[in-house]
Amino acid sequence: MILFLILALLSLVGGVLTIAASNAIHAVLGLVGTLISLAMLYVTLDAHFLAAVQVIVYAGAVMVLFLFVVMLLNAARPVSSRDPIPYVRELAVIFGVLLAGSLLLVLNGYAPPRSLANAASDLAGGAPGPVGAVLLSKFLLPFEAVSLLLLVAVIGSVALVLRPQVQEDPAPEPAAQPGRGETA
Amino acid sequence: MTAAHFWITLLKAVLVALALLTTFAYMTLVERRLLARMQIRRGPNRVGPLGLLQPLADAIKSVFKEDVLATNRDRVVFFLAPLISITTALTVFGAIPAGRPGGFFGANPWVFNLDIGVIFILAFTSLGVYGIFLAGWASGSKYSLLGGLRSSAQVISYELGQGLSILGLLILVGSANLRSIVHWQYHHGWLIAFQLIGFACFLISSFAETNRTPFDLPEAEQELVAGYLTEYSSLKWALFQMSEYVNMITASALISTLFLGGYRGPAFLDAVVPGISGWPYLWLLLKIALFLFLFIWVRATFPRLRYDQLMRFGWKVLFPVALLNALLTAAFVGLLPGLSPWILGLVSLLILIALLALGDRLLAGNRKLARGSAGD
Repeated sequence: MILFLILALLSLVGGVLTIAASNAIHAVLGLVGTLISLAMLYVTLDAHFLAAVQVIVYAGAVMVLFLFVVMLLNAARPVSSRDPIPYVRELAVIFGVLLAGSLLLVLNGYAPPRSLANAASDLAGGAPGPVGAVLLSKFLLPFEAVSLLLLVAVIGSVALVLRPQVQEDPAPEPAAQPGRGETA
Repeated sequence: MTAAHFWITLLKAVLVALALLTTFAYMTLVERRLLARMQIRRGPNRVGPLGLLQPLADAIKSVFKEDVLATNRDRVVFFLAPLISITTALTVFGAIPAGRPGGFFGANPWVFNLDIGVIFILAFTSLGVYGIFLAGWASGSKYSLLGGLRSSAQVISYELGQGLSILGLLILVGSANLRSIVHWQYHHGWLIAFQLIGFACFLISSFAETNRTPFDLPEAEQELVAGYLTEYSSLKWALFQMSEYVNMITASALISTLFLGGYRGPAFLDAVVPGISGWPYLWLLLKIALFLFLFIWVRATFPRLRYDQLMRFGWKVLFPVALLNALLTAAFVGLLPGLSPWILGLVSLLILIALLALGDRLLAGNRKLARGSAGD
C-alpha cells in the first residue's frame, strides 16, 4: 500500500511537471518519470511483461524520439506568446471534466470478467507466454489490425522522407565511369 | 518478504555494486596495459608494482580535480545525467545469476530473479541512453549536443537488432528467465552452437550499445572534441567512464549467460573432474574475462565506422539478418519438431559463412561504386 502511494505520487508529480514545465525538455523528462512509475505500478500488480514492454517501448524508444525532435527543432525555449488556438483553456477544462466523468462511470460499472484468483494463476505472474498466447488467439484480429496500422505508418513515413530520384548530371564528370553514376 | 530476506538482498546489491566498481577500476588498468602491449608500448607501470596502484591514483585524481561547470548548462539535468547513466548500468547486473540456488553462503547468488530476465535487461539498458543523451543536451554546447544525438540514434537503431537477435534463442528455450536459459544449455549444449547468427548479431549490437570501438562515434574526438563528455570533468566525468565500463561488464556477462552456458561449465568436463561444471563463480568470471578481452582486442584492431556506415550496417545488415535468424528458428521449431537442434546449428553456420563471403563481395562492389562516383 505504501509502495502504491509512493508510485502514484511519483507518477502524478511527473504528470504535473509535464504540463507545468516551461522548458520542453523538462516536460519530456516529467513524462518519462510518469511512464516509469506506471511501469513500476504494473510490477506491483504482477504484470511483469507489460511493465518491461512499457519501459522498452515508451520510455526507451518513444520518449527518446520525443527528445530527439525537441532538441533538433530547438523547441526547448519557453513559449511565452499567446495560445494559437482560441479558447483552448476553456475547451481543455470541458474535455477534462468529460474524461474524468467517463472514467468514473467506467470505474463504477467495472466487474472482473472472472474471479481474480483464477485469472492470476492463468497469467503466471505476467510471464510473456500467457500474454502472447492470448494475443495470438483471442485478440488475433485487433492484434493484426494494429500491426497493419503500424506497417502503413512505416511505409508512409518512408514515402514522406524519400528524396526524389537524383537527376543525372547533363555534363558527366570526366572521372565518373559511364553508367555507374546514377546508382550512387 | 521478510526482514532478513530484505537485508540479504540489500547486502548482495551492495556487494555487486562494489565488485563492479572494483572491476571497473582494474579494467581501466588492464585495458591500458593490453592496448600498450598490442601497440608495442609499455603502458602505465610506475605506480606500485606493475602499475597495480594506478587505478587508486586515478581515483584520487578524479575526486580532487576541479569540477568545471559550463555556464550554459541546464542545472538539474547536467547533474542528473551521470546519475542516470551509472544507476541503470549498476542495476542491470543484479539480474545475472552467478551460480546455483543457494550457492552464495546459503543465499541465492543473484540480486533478483525475474521470469522476464532478458527482457528486463534489454529494457533497463535502453534507459541508459538517457544519461548520454541528456548529458549532451544539458551541457549547452554544440559538440556535446551532436554527440548526444548521434549516440541516441545509434543506440535506438542497434537495440532493434539486439532484441531481434535473441528471439531465436527464446523460441528454442521457451523461457526468458536467465536461470532457465542456463539450465537448458547445461542439458542441450551451449546456445552459441545452435544460434550462431543470433550470437553474431547480439555481439555486434552489444558493441554498439556500449559505445565501444568501432561504434564509439559519440566520442569521436576528431569530429566532436569528446562528444557528450566535452563539458564534464572530475567526478561527473568519472561516473560516465564508470557506467561505460560497467555496461561492458554487464554485456559480457549477458552474452556468456545467453550463449555460452552462463554460470555452468561445459558438461563434458564432469567426466574428467566430477562436479567441475557446477563450481560457482569460476565459469561466469572466466567467460566475462574472455569477452572483456575481446572488447579491448577489438578496440586495438578496428578503426571507427563513419556515421552513415554505422546506420547502413545497423538497418540494412544487422536488422534483416537478425530477423532472418528468428524466422529460420521459428520455421525449424514449428515445421520440423523433434529434429536435433544441431542441424539448425549447421544450417546457421552455413548461412553465416555465406553471408560473410557475400558481404565481402558486396562491399567490394560498393567500394568500386564509391570510387566511380567520387565527385558526388
